[in-house]
Amino acid sequence: MNVQRISAIFEKDMKDFMRNITMLMMPSISIILALVYNGMGIGGGEDEYLIFTIYVIVGVTFSAVTSVCMVTMMAEEKEKKTLRGLMLSPASFVDIITGKSLVTGLITFITLVISLLIIGFEPLLNVRAMLGLILMFLFFLMLGIGIGLFAKSVAAASAYSMPVMFLFGFTPMIELFGLGEDSIAIHIAGVFPIMQAVELHDTNSWLPLGIIAIWVIAAALFTYICFKKTRTDD
Amino acid sequence: MDNTIEVKGMRKVFGRKTAIEQVTFNVEKGEIFGLLGPSGSGKTTTIKILTGESTQTDGDVNVLGMDSTRFGSSDFKSKIGILSDNSALYERLTVHDNLKLFCKLYNAPLKEVDVILKEVNMEDERTTTISKLSKGMKQRVLLAKALIHKPKLVFLDEPTSALDPGNAAQIHRGLQKLNEAGTTIFITTHNMEEATELCDRVAFLNNGRLQELDSPGALRYKYSTHAFHVETFSGKRLVIDNEPENAGQIKELIENGEIKAINTDNPTLGQIFLKVTGKELVS
Ligand SMILES: Nc1ncnc2c1ncn2[C@@H]1O[C@H](COP(=O)(O)OP(=O)(O)O)[C@@H](O)[C@H]1O
Ligand SMILES: [Mg+2]
Repeated sequence: MNVQRISAIFEKDMKDFMRNITMLMMPSISIILALVYNGMGIGGGEDEYLIFTIYVIVGVTFSAVTSVCMVTMMAEEKEKKTLRGLMLSPASFVDIITGKSLVTGLITFITLVISLLIIGFEPLLNVRAMLGLILMFLFFLMLGIGIGLFAKSVAAASAYSMPVMFLFGFTPMIELFGLGEDSIAIHIAGVFPIMQAVELHDTNSWLPLGIIAIWVIAAALFTYICFKKTRTDD
Repeated sequence: MDNTIEVKGMRKVFGRKTAIEQVTFNVEKGEIFGLLGPSGSGKTTTIKILTGESTQTDGDVNVLGMDSTRFGSSDFKSKIGILSDNSALYERLTVHDNLKLFCKLYNAPLKEVDVILKEVNMEDERTTTISKLSKGMKQRVLLAKALIHKPKLVFLDEPTSALDPGNAAQIHRGLQKLNEAGTTIFITTHNMEEATELCDRVAFLNNGRLQELDSPGALRYKYSTHAFHVETFSGKRLVIDNEPENAGQIKELIENGEIKAINTDNPTLGQIFLKVTGKELVS
């Protein structure tokens, strides 16, 4: 880890982000969704759907902003061959990823704050919920890095990220499919990170956080394997 | 002798294809070393192994006193500069922003950006976005990027292959200046004029095998027939072997004032390459 190198990459990616129209569009998705929910009268008060709605917004932000930012940054660096230049420089992979993650983290944070100010955030104001958010941020961050490194081009990266994002980011939406309580899909979806975060609000157990942490470790492994393949041309 | 690069018995296999076979050579400190070969002969593969972008299947590779297991270290990376097909710039950012990034990554003083921009004659494009530059200008910025941290050793993989002669000449002058300042340069090319003009020594690579290695002058002498090529005012072209018994003939031509031009046979590197490998350098 080298602070100067991390800040150099942060500065570069921040400037690049500001000039990338597609990337600038992504945060607006969660903000618009929050405005729509708010217009429907959800949020703000003691609504029984508030927690569900908050996690829909959180899932959309983490998938459409956190993951997509990372996927796009990494895939673009790969496709345009600039990643090789970074890897050949004395900057370590951790420096590169940290610089980019700080950009993504900042954009995610701003998007989430704006969206949650619209819809309401009181249920999140406790240690377990906050830890859950941080762990999920790490999960979606690493998932994005991994997909970006794995894909050969920006187009392929977007294609791969779509189903993954729907699966992990839009998990709460499964409730809208009208599946039975005992359906296998509901059971499987139940262990997904976002659903575990919702679960946190129904229990005093720390188990959901443990399950989310396992997802984070899995995403980290996936990222590490994808990185190993990128370093050389063999 | 102080060697910057030492390669012994290097081999590289991709699946069932052998790209490099038993390649051995040294590059001396401070020289411009040229690797010549047609497309597909293994030039890029060699550079990738020497820079740690790829690993050899067999053999010993030592660069700047470090063996290939250390090519991933930041110590190694900060001592080499690379310009290849895999070099790229951030298209949405300006020339200055691009170079500033690498300045910081290599821990070089920021004032180097303006120094190097002047060196590559790009100071007027300082605030231009990369996507608006011509190919030749981009190549000069890439060269600046490769040199900004004052590396001891620079690898250039066909640096001028896509450039017009004017831009190429500008890059050549830059490389000569750099070399005079003590930088060792490893360059691959299939351009024989470039090699003749720039390189202290050249090696011929053909199908992954090294076939000749010497200075361009020595190679041209070695493969010369040493005959005199004479052009007379009456339009005749004579080839006279460099033998004592032919002295009279040449003396007579001179006395009669018939000689318009007289040269020793001096093959170009391209002709020598063809002779050695049976292949054209440029197809
Ligand atoms: N990653 C790779 N996988 C398989 N074959 C490769 C790879 N890289 C290079 N080659 C093969 O190795 C040979 C040498 O390639 P290269 O070093 O790029 O040649 P040059 O740079 O002289 O044109 C070619 O036949 C090429 O097809
Ligand atoms: Mg090549």
